[in-house]
Amino acid sequence: MEFTINRSAFIKQLTDVQRAISSKTTIPILTGIKVVLTASGLLLTGSDADVSIETFLSVEDEANNLTIESTGEIVLPARFFSEIVKKLPQDTFSLTVTDGYQTEITSGSASFNINGLDANNYPHLPEIDTDDNLIFSGSILKQIISQTVIAVSNQESRPILTGVHFVIENGEFLAVATDSHRLSQRKITLQGANDSKYDVIIPGKSLVELSRMIDDSNPDIEMRISENQVLFILGNTSFYSRLLEGNYPDTSRLIPNESATGIEFSAPKLLSAIERASLLSHESRNNVVKLAINAAEQKVVIYSNSPDVGNVEEALEFSNLSGNDLEISFNPDYMKDALRSFGQTEIKVAFTQPLRPFTLVPTEDTTQFIQLITPVRTF
Amino acid sequence: MDKRQLYDNFIAIEEEMKRMLSSFETIKSDMTGVLENNAELEIENQHLRERLSEIERQTSKDFNESSDANLSKSRQNLEKLYDQGFHVCNIEGMYGSRRVDDEPCAFCLDLIYGEREI
Repeated sequence: MEFTINRSAFIKQLTDVQRAISSKTTIPILTGIKVVLTASGLLLTGSDADVSIETFLSVEDEANNLTIESTGEIVLPARFFSEIVKKLPQDTFSLTVTDGYQTEITSGSASFNINGLDANNYPHLPEIDTDDNLIFSGSILKQIISQTVIAVSNQESRPILTGVHFVIENGEFLAVATDSHRLSQRKITLQGANDSKYDVIIPGKSLVELSRMIDDSNPDIEMRISENQVLFILGNTSFYSRLLEGNYPDTSRLIPNESATGIEFSAPKLLSAIERASLLSHESRNNVVKLAINAAEQKVVIYSNSPDVGNVEEALEFSNLSGNDLEISFNPDYMKDALRSFGQTEIKVAFTQPLRPFTLVPTEDTTQFIQLITPVRTF
Repeated sequence: MDKRQLYDNFIAIEEEMKRMLSSFETIKSDMTGVLENNAELEIENQHLRERLSEIERQTSKDFNESSDANLSKSRQNLEKLYDQGFHVCNIEGMYGSRRVDDEPCAFCLDLIYGEREI
């Protein structure tokens, strides 16, 4: 196996593949990166058994400047290999596998010899045997991921809730995540998905890695789902993730259908008020802020109290307050996460009862995106 | 002379330890008393709270219709468990497990207060 390649093109792909490689894996060969050289190009693979990333550098792409002397395959220690390649002196470098699994990397006058491993011992990538695919625009998928993963649970004791629930039915795509304290749900209409019907749970961590790989140069992303794997194809790169097994709890009944009190805020202004209030709530034992709504006087005030430090009170700016008076307490951190996901926009908050969850939706479009927060009971 | 003093020291330490042991015992029995007292007060407090909420419910019946008055006996039991800090939902077999840091759980609240078609 011997080839020469443009270093910066190679590093770009290597960085993507490295996202999948973890130093904490229990299977030693997975700390390595698999390099397969065929007549048509170079295939790089990285995996941590949950997530696998594969990328192809074609011989036909001139930017790669790939010249192949002889084909073959090898597994190289990922950490050293990438650090070495990144620090090589010239614009191109050559890689040669010599005796056994000895690998020589040369660029200009620098020459490294590192020990590789037999590529036959590298685990096989999952196989996705379906042609049924769904196409997302990269920026939409990235947005959906960032809006839902905030609500994913990080408690390993509740494995199902560490994933995002993807439901595709009747040409509609729904992504929902909850850690049982709050919930985030996003809906879009998916072009060309009329017959597809899927119900899968994708680990939140995988989606975070995936969204980091989506940049502006990836306009479309193809998604394929098999029984226990999902595959996302971004140009020359394939991203495989394990699916979580089990049934996702029914979240539709958590979202209230009607409301007793409705009010509108500007998301960034409410966010800064909540941030101020949480300065003190973080010091107290139960970390809550209280929101008091008085419909008759048209007044909305948030309070937070920390017995050791002091208390804060702030009258909020709002519009369109209607319904019953209400006092409700909640964890400000969940509120902050939810408000950040709205960005610079007007939002509508709807309450039912002091002990039931309340919802936040954008005022402009109240059905596509919804955040739900469960209040804290105070005595 | 030195040996004699060594022995005296031992006696002195022995006396000291005996005294400490007896004061240990007194403190221990005092603490048991305080704990008992505390438990009694806690029970009494709970009774008083119940009484208080009963009175509050009577005085402000129309203010908050969601209060316990409308809940069935079994839902009240679930609410009590939830308030004590346990999950009553059974998502992933969580029923009866401790709610981490007493954080709220939307699934539990739905079970307790949600509408259910029977």
